[in-house]
Amino acid sequence: MALALSVSDLRVVAAGGRTLLDIPALDLPPGAALGIRGPSGAGKTTFLHAVAGLIDRSAGRIAWGDTDLAALSAGARARFRAGNVGMIFQDFLLFDELTALDNAAIPALFAPRGRRAGLREAARANLARLGLTDPVRDVSTFSGGERQRVSVARALANRPAIVLADEPTAALHREAADRLIADLVSVARDGNRTLVAVSHDPRLLDAMDRVLTIEDGRPAERQAA
Amino acid sequence: MRDLWLGLPVLAQDLLLLLALLLPLGLIGLAVLRGFAPAPLVRAMLWRFRWANALFVLLIAVSVGLGIGLLAQERGLRAGTAQAADKFDMIVSAPGSEITMMMAAVYLQPTSVPLVPGDTYAEIADHPSVRIAAPLAFGDSHDGAPIVGTTAPFVAHLSDGALDGRAFGAEGEAVIGARVPLALGARLEPAHGTGDAAEHGAHEGTEFTVVGRMAPLGNPWDNAILVPVESVWATHGLASGHAPDSPTQLGPPFDARYFPGTPAIVVKADSLAATYGLRSQFDQRADTMAFFPGTVLTRLYTVMGDVRQAMSVMAVVTQGLVALSVMVGLMILTRLFRRNMALLRALGAPGRFVFATVWSYAATLLVSGAVLGLAVGQVATLVLSRVVSARTDIAIAAPLGWPEIHAAAGFTSLAAALALLPALTVLRQPIIAGLRA
Repeated sequence: MALALSVSDLRVVAAGGRTLLDIPALDLPPGAALGIRGPSGAGKTTFLHAVAGLIDRSAGRIAWGDTDLAALSAGARARFRAGNVGMIFQDFLLFDELTALDNAAIPALFAPRGRRAGLREAARANLARLGLTDPVRDVSTFSGGERQRVSVARALANRPAIVLADEPTAALHREAADRLIADLVSVARDGNRTLVAVSHDPRLLDAMDRVLTIEDGRPAERQAA
Repeated sequence: MRDLWLGLPVLAQDLLLLLALLLPLGLIGLAVLRGFAPAPLVRAMLWRFRWANALFVLLIAVSVGLGIGLLAQERGLRAGTAQAADKFDMIVSAPGSEITMMMAAVYLQPTSVPLVPGDTYAEIADHPSVRIAAPLAFGDSHDGAPIVGTTAPFVAHLSDGALDGRAFGAEGEAVIGARVPLALGARLEPAHGTGDAAEHGAHEGTEFTVVGRMAPLGNPWDNAILVPVESVWATHGLASGHAPDSPTQLGPPFDARYFPGTPAIVVKADSLAATYGLRSQFDQRADTMAFFPGTVLTRLYTVMGDVRQAMSVMAVVTQGLVALSVMVGLMILTRLFRRNMALLRALGAPGRFVFATVWSYAATLLVSGAVLGLAVGQVATLVLSRVVSARTDIAIAAPLGWPEIHAAAGFTSLAAALALLPALTVLRQPIIAGLRA
């Protein structure tokens, strides 16, 4: 079940006192797709990290459904991510020595024993759905597009309500990027997941329901066409 | 409790001690890994930096191996020297250093010492409880093998009767040790002196024929050529030990008047009590010294025991330092996995899982090093044993025993505890900094 995002008075300040992020208010309905864009260093990835609960010191409210991440301990935020969030990174962050299936099933390694087999099966099904028909191949032999699809399968292994993607197409050529955009939107919509994607890629941003522009850590929102 | 422990069979004590030493490893492993299965990630981490990991394992293995190898070698050396002295119940010589005499008589490292005169020899040989009183005569050699003059009964005692051929029965006959490269029937000419100082041709005209070969004894006598003591005396122009009217007599009894003297008499008595009695009798006199080589060795071992303890401490300290160095190395190495660990935490992995993954990785290297160290230790002792045996002619068998296994187990547990440090370091690294690394 998708979760709504409600952000209010979110402020992230660097150790030196510089404001990295200042979002007075942002509401995203459950199952919506939000694109984040802006110049380099504007605070896009910081926003993504904040809504993922990865930033320890942030002020304000970051609520996914009824859960305010800003009010949780680091351990509780980790548990929330493990149960609700799938993350995709620009450079995939895969274990090159493992197979596609082992990579996609990494969340099974730290899941309760009773859920491990189910997570592994889900990882296998996700790989198949994303067109990766040889799940026991080492990911080091995969193309960039295939590797990013493995990381998408990994993000979906725990059937998350939220998918957070940081420049998911930046390392891919156009054809692979287009396919990934289609896959990402498809798995989010079909799974009724809330998607937040940071990107410079206009095609990815065009596929989102809304696009938020962040400049100097502050929002300059526009509705997607 | 102490009685219960002492009442257990030795094997049970060793096994229980091994379990106790491995217990910390087991407990840490159980506590750290409970509920998680990080094996695939650990395998990936091991494979990614396989050469660096192999180097770590090798470093630990060499450190553990040399430590336990030296301890095993020292034990083997003690056993070998004790076994070599087994046939020498008691030695009587002129007063002097017991160690010097023991080295001369037992380990065939003679030096110039005063001689025991014939009447003293006769007193010992005629003692009712003495079964063998064998005079020894040194000074010649053949092709590096020392020639020792003695008696046929001593040859029988030394070899336990295990002779290929027979004991010498006439002057000019010789019995050789198992490692002397001569065949039965071979003829040899003695050189005067031993080693590099041997003078070839000094005893021209004197010749021995090999009539027997002893079975291996595991001591320097394996490399010796035993001839009638009368022959050695005759070769050096001394009296034969027998009256001129008995020119062909060989072996005891000797005539004190014609006895040229001997540096050492190996004595075998009827019983242990008799041996002690003889030692008491001949050790309290001004003109003789009597000692048990076994007792001298025990005193040496006591000194060596202190050295051994120092060596043990040094080995433990060295291993500890190596483990510490490896820990620092691992902390540096784990920085290479920083992004992967940050990824796991971003995916929601509990801190304890990341901790378990890094600990398993570090512990795998350390345990592998310790296990490989046992093999390195075994090889080290084999090599050292061969070198020492080649130099001393003392057979040294130094297989790894329980003390070495216990040392490796203790090191493993210590290392498992130390492996918590790099795991803790990784856990303290900020996730976002790790993702951006």
